[in-house]
Amino acid sequence: MMTLQTEDYSSLKRKLILRDSLTFLSLLLVTIVLFLMTFFLFRSFTSHRQELAQRWSARGQAALNAGHPDQAIVALRTALSYAPGQRSCELLLAQALGDAGHTEESFNYFLGLWETQPGDGFINLSLGRLAAKKNDIQAAINYYRASIFGTWQGDGVLRRREVRLELSQYFIAHHDLSSARTELLITGGNAPEDVPLSLTLAQLLEKAQTPHDALTYYRKVLAQEPKNQIALQAAARLEYDSGHFDEAHRLIEQTMREQETSPSTPEAITPRYEEMLEDSTRILELAPLKKLPNNERVTRILQARALAKKRFATCSTQLSVASGLSSPLKDLAAKWTSKAATASRAALLNDPTQQDSTMQLVFDTETQTSRICGPPTGDDALLLQLAKFPKAMEP
Amino acid sequence: MEDQTAMAETEPVAPITLREDMIARIAPGREERVFLLLSIFIGVVSGLLVVSFRMAIEWLSVLLLGSSPYPHQPRLLYIPAAAGLVIAVLTRYVFPKVRGSGINQTKAALYISNGYISFRTVIGKFLLSALAIGSGHSLGPEDPSLQIGAGVASLISRRFGMSKEKLRIFAPIGAAAGLAAAFNAPISAILFVIEEVIGQWSAAVLGSIVLSAVASVVVARSFWGAQPMFRIPVIDLRDSRELLAYAALGVVGGFASLLFARCLSYLRPKLRSQPQWSQLLQPAVAGLLVGAIGYFGLVQVMGAGYEAIDQAMHAQFAWKMLLLLALFKIIATTLSFSSGTPGGMFAPTLFIGAMLGAAVGTFEKIYFPHLTGTIGSYALVGMGVLFAAFLRAPLTSVFMVLEVSGNYSIVLPVILANTIAYLISRVLQPIPILEQFTHQDGLNLPSMEELREESNLHLEDAMQPFTVPVLQGSETIADTLNSLAQYEDLKSIPIFLVHCSDGLWYTAKREELEALAANQPEEQDATTTTPPAATLAGHLGPERTPVLFPDQPLSSALPHFQRWPLLPITNRAIRGSLEGTVTLQDVLNRYQKH
Repeated sequence: MMTLQTEDYSSLKRKLILRDSLTFLSLLLVTIVLFLMTFFLFRSFTSHRQELAQRWSARGQAALNAGHPDQAIVALRTALSYAPGQRSCELLLAQALGDAGHTEESFNYFLGLWETQPGDGFINLSLGRLAAKKNDIQAAINYYRASIFGTWQGDGVLRRREVRLELSQYFIAHHDLSSARTELLITGGNAPEDVPLSLTLAQLLEKAQTPHDALTYYRKVLAQEPKNQIALQAAARLEYDSGHFDEAHRLIEQTMREQETSPSTPEAITPRYEEMLEDSTRILELAPLKKLPNNERVTRILQARALAKKRFATCSTQLSVASGLSSPLKDLAAKWTSKAATASRAALLNDPTQQDSTMQLVFDTETQTSRICGPPTGDDALLLQLAKFPKAMEP
Repeated sequence: MEDQTAMAETEPVAPITLREDMIARIAPGREERVFLLLSIFIGVVSGLLVVSFRMAIEWLSVLLLGSSPYPHQPRLLYIPAAAGLVIAVLTRYVFPKVRGSGINQTKAALYISNGYISFRTVIGKFLLSALAIGSGHSLGPEDPSLQIGAGVASLISRRFGMSKEKLRIFAPIGAAAGLAAAFNAPISAILFVIEEVIGQWSAAVLGSIVLSAVASVVVARSFWGAQPMFRIPVIDLRDSRELLAYAALGVVGGFASLLFARCLSYLRPKLRSQPQWSQLLQPAVAGLLVGAIGYFGLVQVMGAGYEAIDQAMHAQFAWKMLLLLALFKIIATTLSFSSGTPGGMFAPTLFIGAMLGAAVGTFEKIYFPHLTGTIGSYALVGMGVLFAAFLRAPLTSVFMVLEVSGNYSIVLPVILANTIAYLISRVLQPIPILEQFTHQDGLNLPSMEELREESNLHLEDAMQPFTVPVLQGSETIADTLNSLAQYEDLKSIPIFLVHCSDGLWYTAKREELEALAANQPEEQDATTTTPPAATLAGHLGPERTPVLFPDQPLSSALPHFQRWPLLPITNRAIRGSLEGTVTLQDVLNRYQKH
């Protein structure tokens, strides 16, 4: 066994401490050198990766814009392998997946992005669209709504409006017309006086089966652009369908005039409009409007009564030969024996109430016979149109 | 044996015995202090090397295979083949110890070469593994990182002239650091090293392992960022019935791991038994075949495959494609690994697991659409399943999934699926694959699974009811002699137990008591008072037999038999209450029965 003297002991201990200190120092230096080397290599490595990521991302973007989502997917995946977590690339990839028809993958990808940014308008919109594709109606609506209330970069107001319009279209497609109308009216309420937007709103409101609201927006368009062919035609059609034949007539005439003055207008007049013009002209000739002079009004009432009586007689004959008169026709027959059916011109001239009763008999006759004996033709058909909106043209 | 030398490194003989001895005498607490500080340095240096290793792989990959490899590129065929040839030549002539994954090599260093891993091996492992993975061989970077970490630890600790015992312990510390940095998951790395390298929980080394793993992860994260390796999808388990689907995944994973292990255990020894010249060509042929898989469509199986795992997690493959990828990854990895190309098994295992998990998830989504789990959660559980079944590290597999996902709600599916897969693998493949590799290499490293499951014997297993006479230490010598006189066959009793007044015991030999009697005066004057030291305990002195309890390891009794022929075992709850006794013969008998 070796024995150590005190001096040896101290000297050895000092040597040991010195040796350990030097070893630690050299280890520290080696670590620092290694760190610096790794640091500089890593910087170069990172910049090279960023370069590659940018290159592939640009390729992906270009492929996506060119309508080649499959190529875009490959490029964007490569870009993401060099710049993992790069938001713009991830969004593009998710979009490309959706465009390429990989709905489930795209949905999952967007869902992953949504996890980190649940309030992002674009992500919610994309999820809404994908959920709609997957026919998950409630999820689609929820995501669309989240998108409307979400955050948008740039023009948020415009984006939100577009999403709301898209949601309305989705509602219309799923026959939820009242929800669609609500969304459209909110959009319209917040929208500026803009012709294309008003036109879109009007068209969508028409699809949502709210012609009155649609007409309001077509009128807005015409107030700003009186010669707008689309608005003129659509407004004319709606006016006609709602019994405002005088307004419809005016609008169709205006449309045709505009068409003649600028034949390059893309919206050509269809035969339906020509028919509408003819019908509305004839209706305006037939209609016993209250604004007409009394004499003229009574003449028209008598003309209408004669037409209706003839129609009733034809229908009665047709039916009695077949199976005898039905109950509604019997009621009608009873009415044709009343005073309204027999009142003379002089009586009508002196009695405005009798005029109304006679016209009511005409309308009832046209309505009932159309139900029992089929749709009428000629003037009877026009009287039936008038019967649907008896007071539409009255002030 | 050639294979053995290829794995276990021979420690160079250094005249350090005297120095060690002297240092221990000069500065007795030095090793412990240096040990902790060095663990941090090992962690930092390992972290830096692993960051560089990963960089090297990616750089080589871009350089060799292009920035976006896609099928039908001719380079997919010739690059892995050419790289294989270079690797084979360098492995044969420059870096002969770098074959394999690195796990068994680290174990060999720990159990055979006193923790010694040469600098050359570290460099070789770094370069050749990076070249192999970067050129598209189907291998992973984690296991080589583990060996690089262990090599760094060995290198640093040797410079400090540590004792052999400490040098040995440094290897797993570095291994944990390397793995933690590669995997960005310190807990899993620590658990894996304990489960697979050390085999047992050891308080002596745990603190240092934790320190080095944390230090390396801090370094790695300062470069790569703190984000997990994969983008983790939404994980939600709403209905416990869905556990059945995960159980099915466990079954699929168990059988897949069996197939993978069988392929490896068949092909590896076959290729290693071929003539030397053909072994030079094996990595090239393997590279050509793996490249062919990529060339004809499955580029995803080339390299580590993390991007494909990420894509599988986000439902970007159809289930048939996922199954195809899993199958071809098994084939590709078997070829690459069996050919002796250096590289790890972690990443391929995770790849196969993720593909199978996503396939099961996609299948269930199609045919059982009411199940709520995302495909990503199945992929994640699948990774854990393969890890548990193939690498036989069930605890690590659970924590790995939790750590990677950062989501605790997945714990039930993971535990269930992993347990099923692990049990299937255990029943059908009793010897774990890593152990098979060591056997194939002609080594006899301890089986970690056996170590884990070894039932330790306790004192209660050898304890016998006490039959020896008990004397009270508080009695006077005279009273003791009277008590002894009651025993007619005193000469036949070799040992007595003395119960001392402090509650402790003293095992007295008959000779000691006879000596007491001999020293006692013949007649004692009745009028003289007995001094207090005249009690038996007083005469026996302050020494007592060690306090032992029934639940202590049986081996804890062994050091005391040199002094004490019989050891009393006492109750933990009641001080001094005797439960039984053990003798050396009892202990030996129990060990022989075990």
